Amino acid sequence: MSAGLATPVPSGRAADESAPSRIAVRRLDFYYGDAHALKGIELDFRDRHVTALIGPSGCGKSTLLRCFNRIYSLYPDQRATGEINIDGRNILSDDVDVNELRARIGMVFQKPTPFPMSIYDNVAFGMRLNERLSRADTDARVESALRKAALWDEVKDKLARSGTGLSGGQQQRLCIARAVAQNPEVILFDEPTSALDPISTGKIEELIEQLRSEFTIAIVTHNMQQAARISQYTAFMYLGEVVEFGPTGGIFMNPAKKQTHDYVTGRFG
Amino acid sequence: MPDVAVPNAAAPAEWGRVRPGRRAADRVLRAFSVCVSAIGVLALGSILGMLLFRGLSALGPGVFTTVTPGPGSQDGGLANAIAGSLVLTAIGIAVATPIGLLAGTYLAEYGRGSRLAVSIRFVNDVLLSAPSILIGLFVYTLMVAPFGTYSGWAGGAALAIIAIPVIVRTTEDMLSLVPATLREAGAALGAPPSRVITLVTWRAARAGIVTGIVLATARIAGETAPLLFTALNNNFWFAGNLVGGVSNLPVTIYQFALSPYGNWQELAWAGALLITAAVLILSVVARHVIRKDAVR
Repeated sequence: MSAGLATPVPSGRAADESAPSRIAVRRLDFYYGDAHALKGIELDFRDRHVTALIGPSGCGKSTLLRCFNRIYSLYPDQRATGEINIDGRNILSDDVDVNELRARIGMVFQKPTPFPMSIYDNVAFGMRLNERLSRADTDARVESALRKAALWDEVKDKLARSGTGLSGGQQQRLCIARAVAQNPEVILFDEPTSALDPISTGKIEELIEQLRSEFTIAIVTHNMQQAARISQYTAFMYLGEVVEFGPTGGIFMNPAKKQTHDYVTGRFG
Repeated sequence: MPDVAVPNAAAPAEWGRVRPGRRAADRVLRAFSVCVSAIGVLALGSILGMLLFRGLSALGPGVFTTVTPGPGSQDGGLANAIAGSLVLTAIGIAVATPIGLLAGTYLAEYGRGSRLAVSIRFVNDVLLSAPSILIGLFVYTLMVAPFGTYSGWAGGAALAIIAIPVIVRTTEDMLSLVPATLREAGAALGAPPSRVITLVTWRAARAGIVTGIVLATARIAGETAPLLFTALNNNFWFAGNLVGGVSNLPVTIYQFALSPYGNWQELAWAGALLITAAVLILSVVARHVIRKDAVR
């Protein structure tokens, strides 16, 4: 087996090279205090595509993801310099309202993070913060979000029950519904299945496949088969830099760099 | 068969048998710990037993309906003292809860490692173990001496000062247990810090925070020293504006228990039983809140 373990299953839709760039990262540097975690990142995330970020632990892939909604700024010693242009606006600029930015960029975390409130209130959380909606409109948005997250049939009779009472996989889909309910432009997934069993993982992957028709998706994953299955573009990162970026098929089948080849064939990482 | 050296093949080690010395040591230690536990339980049991025995016999409907008797008079009850204690405790906890909750929230959410937070935390810990008589004197110089009269407001303030550090501490501890990812998830939906705190972290830590408030209530319900210099005590119904002394259970117990009158001593037992029962009920409520939250 010279090509290694990550036999790519061709994704439902191939990379469309003509799709416009939704997130354009330019000369991005990131620091944890004095530690230089990202070095001169240049990347484009295409509209309505899934872009996977892979690489060994500590390579900076989660850090990069956390730049897109500036969630890192919750911690005073973390800072980013350079540009991240989303729809032509540099979101790292000081005059960007981070709360408005975060309402437009959904994020799903490694461990499910349901809030200690009802399933309905979990999904309605974001829209209640940012929009004034009638009860009927809220109901409709909650239902639509839960349907898009493939959770509606399982929870439609218990919307008033606590979100924390669901199973791990259901909780993660609830978090996806919560993000989708805001009608975001981009959804960020930070290792969304690493805490889940294989069946729940399969459901989440199917879901990401469906969400791609509406949203631009960036996903960090440790699982190379997963990246091969669900993404159209893949960036391989190592030591805070993007080593190679391109259509997923190329990265896995015919990597240009030796480091990429070694990583996707399981020789290090 | 590979050629492997067997250590001490000549003298196989004895195993599977407890050496007699070890068994004896175990017995001694076990007997010792049982004895010590028994002494502790016995002391507590005798206090509670005595309290139940003397308290129940003194407890009658009159305790709840008549006011504390004057010196030399017959019978009497604790109605004014019970009501006074409820009012003082309510004032104390009503003042302490918002201050303690917000200060604890500052320490856990905003301040964290800042210099201000570190010094507040230190002062709070000192206050937590400050002698309550000092707090009574402090409030005396601030709220009693200048006005020339004891008052329920001063008593409530003294109790609040005792309750605040308890609530600050439990609130901070409980909020610190809320995982950072939950805050990040709230922020990632576009919620500013104030909304993340009120809608997410407070909710997540709700049971622990409520428990802290209940335990603080139990703590101040039985405090005597801070009331000696502030609310004082008397044998009458207190004025509606709480100016002048406000009768209360702990100081009544203190005065009545030291008195030579039989009916006063009886009432002191009844009052002690009532306070103990109230604290017990509050503790059970606190436990129940925690358990309910754990199940959910």
